[in-house]
Amino acid sequence: MKYLQYQWKTRLVVVLLISIGVSILLMGLDVTPWAQQINLRGYSHGADEGEGPNIPSFLLYVLPFVKELILIGIPLLLTLLWLKLTQVIGRAR
Amino acid sequence: MSDWTQNLQKTRYVMDTLLLISFMMVSAPQTTGVPLHEWLSLLFVVPFAIHLLLHWDWIKQSLRRFSAKISAKERFSLVWNYLLYVVMLLATVSGFLVSVALLPAMSISFEIQDFWSKIHHDSATLIMPMLGIHLALHWSWIVNLTKRMGKRAPAQ
Repeated sequence: MKYLQYQWKTRLVVVLLISIGVSILLMGLDVTPWAQQINLRGYSHGADEGEGPNIPSFLLYVLPFVKELILIGIPLLLTLLWLKLTQVIGRAR
Repeated sequence: MSDWTQNLQKTRYVMDTLLLISFMMVSAPQTTGVPLHEWLSLLFVVPFAIHLLLHWDWIKQSLRRFSAKISAKERFSLVWNYLLYVVMLLATVSGFLVSVALLPAMSISFEIQDFWSKIHHDSATLIMPMLGIHLALHWSWIVNLTKRMGKRAPAQ
């Protein structure tokens, strides 16, 4: 792990300080009219406790991973297709 | 494969694979249950920090690269990486602000706002397609390293 150990303390402190700084800025979203509007309107997602979909129980464990694979995989494939197309068009010019 | 710690690219590959696996575990609270999801999210900070440390040179050069003459793909990738970082932070911060297991276990509790619940759900969902595009932008590196990882190191 020599690459990870090289100046890792200094670098980690820098990463943490920047991340904490950006996080504090993001927490400022709390006071925007947008946040107040959502808080007034209320928000909920998914079924309440005991009101899950009527599907085999093993699917409840598998489907979240299927959702992830689709949500990651389709944009990945579309981007690869786009990159290939721009490469082909670029060569043809 | 045994010499991966001696090679920067291979170290990145192994650590990035672990990052992807841990990301997929963390992103499935319906499977793990919310309490485990929250504790795993805390642990997820470790592979995420390792990812940033192993790409330190890129981070250092990125701002200079942005003003340099670079290809549209590289410019897009630069902006995309920073956006992904901000959305990842947003999902993490909002996750802490809607915690029902991790923070109460540390005797920290506050009123959960609907705004942060929505932000956490939306940002966590948004990260997935953003990650897909991030992976596509580095696809040739992934393919090359996958091939190299399978090869044995020459005998000394």
